[in-house]
Amino acid sequence: MLGRRQTRRMYEGGDCGTAIKENNKKRVSGAETPINNIKGNEEPEVVDKGAETEPETDVEDFEDNGIIDHTTFDQLLEMDDEEDHEFSRSLVWNYFEQAEKTFEDMDEAMEKLDFPDLSRLGHFLKGSSAALGLTKVKESCEKLQHYGNRKDAAGVESITNDEAETLIRALLAQMRREYNEAESYLKVFYDGQE
Amino acid sequence: MPMPASISPPGSPPSPTMSVDSIHGHNTLRLNSPLQLDQLRRIKVMIVDDNSINLSILSRMLEKHFTDIVQLTVITTSGVEALQRLASEEFDLILMDIDMPVLTGVQTTIAIRQNTSESPILEHNQNVAIIAVTTSDGAEQRELYRQVGMSDCVSKPIDPSKLRSAIEGAMKASG
Repeated sequence: MLGRRQTRRMYEGGDCGTAIKENNKKRVSGAETPINNIKGNEEPEVVDKGAETEPETDVEDFEDNGIIDHTTFDQLLEMDDEEDHEFSRSLVWNYFEQAEKTFEDMDEAMEKLDFPDLSRLGHFLKGSSAALGLTKVKESCEKLQHYGNRKDAAGVESITNDEAETLIRALLAQMRREYNEAESYLKVFYDGQE
Repeated sequence: MPMPASISPPGSPPSPTMSVDSIHGHNTLRLNSPLQLDQLRRIKVMIVDDNSINLSILSRMLEKHFTDIVQLTVITTSGVEALQRLASEEFDLILMDIDMPVLTGVQTTIAIRQNTSESPILEHNQNVAIIAVTTSDGAEQRELYRQVGMSDCVSKPIDPSKLRSAIEGAMKASG
């Protein structure tokens, strides 16, 4: 079983370090500037499109950001056969396909302001994100689920359609960044397995 | 006077009419209680989930960690498909996702318990043990699942030990 300690050791120098740098050349793209001072909810992240982001070359940087819940991810690795990680790898790559398709569907639903569909899509991706231990993506999906139901981030207080639209636009950009981060981490991890 | 031993090979139903008192002079395995007999009989499980990732994980988990309990796993991707299978095959346990399109897990459970499907399900399946497997696991939602006839709720991401407890509890309750 490869846990946090083992994954960290794998990336200390050597060819794996090169793999990390190559994979991290892909920058997380900038997104819409979110709107501040939204009533009753926390302020969304502010994104400065012009700012350079330092590429992460150490798996510890990924881990410190809470991208992966290692307890959950390690359980997946435990279900691999001893010789390889084919099961978990194919699962993760299937998740990438599913997530990309779901993001496309979310964008379409956003254009139509189809809030129920956005909520449904948020819930759908939440389940598989949770199953892989992708903590941040899962939490954002849960917020989308609530916003789509015209509720606040906790799913308690009601919000207006305008508020929901504003929050969801910012959240979709944030979710995409979080997904890109998770995707990068996982690709680096599995590249290191070869 | 001890009861004659009954021995059932793993994977097959217990055969109370068969008994072997001794083999080559050695004591046979003595299985006196119904629960011990049932422990040799592995169960047939249906997993219902519209998300292929979740289906893969749960079926793999049963394959890797539950071979002592589970004989066969069938996967379905909707409540509608589940009801169709239940009309022609007997199952011992259903692991049911809740939030699915067309028929939710709750609606599917109600259709099973009340046998209101278009194609009547087998009588055996009307009381099949059902465990909710979901991220919708708040107290109110758990109570709803109980009320419609589910025996337990396991949260996603699934902890194998909690799933095992839920399955053992469900099978014990269903007799």
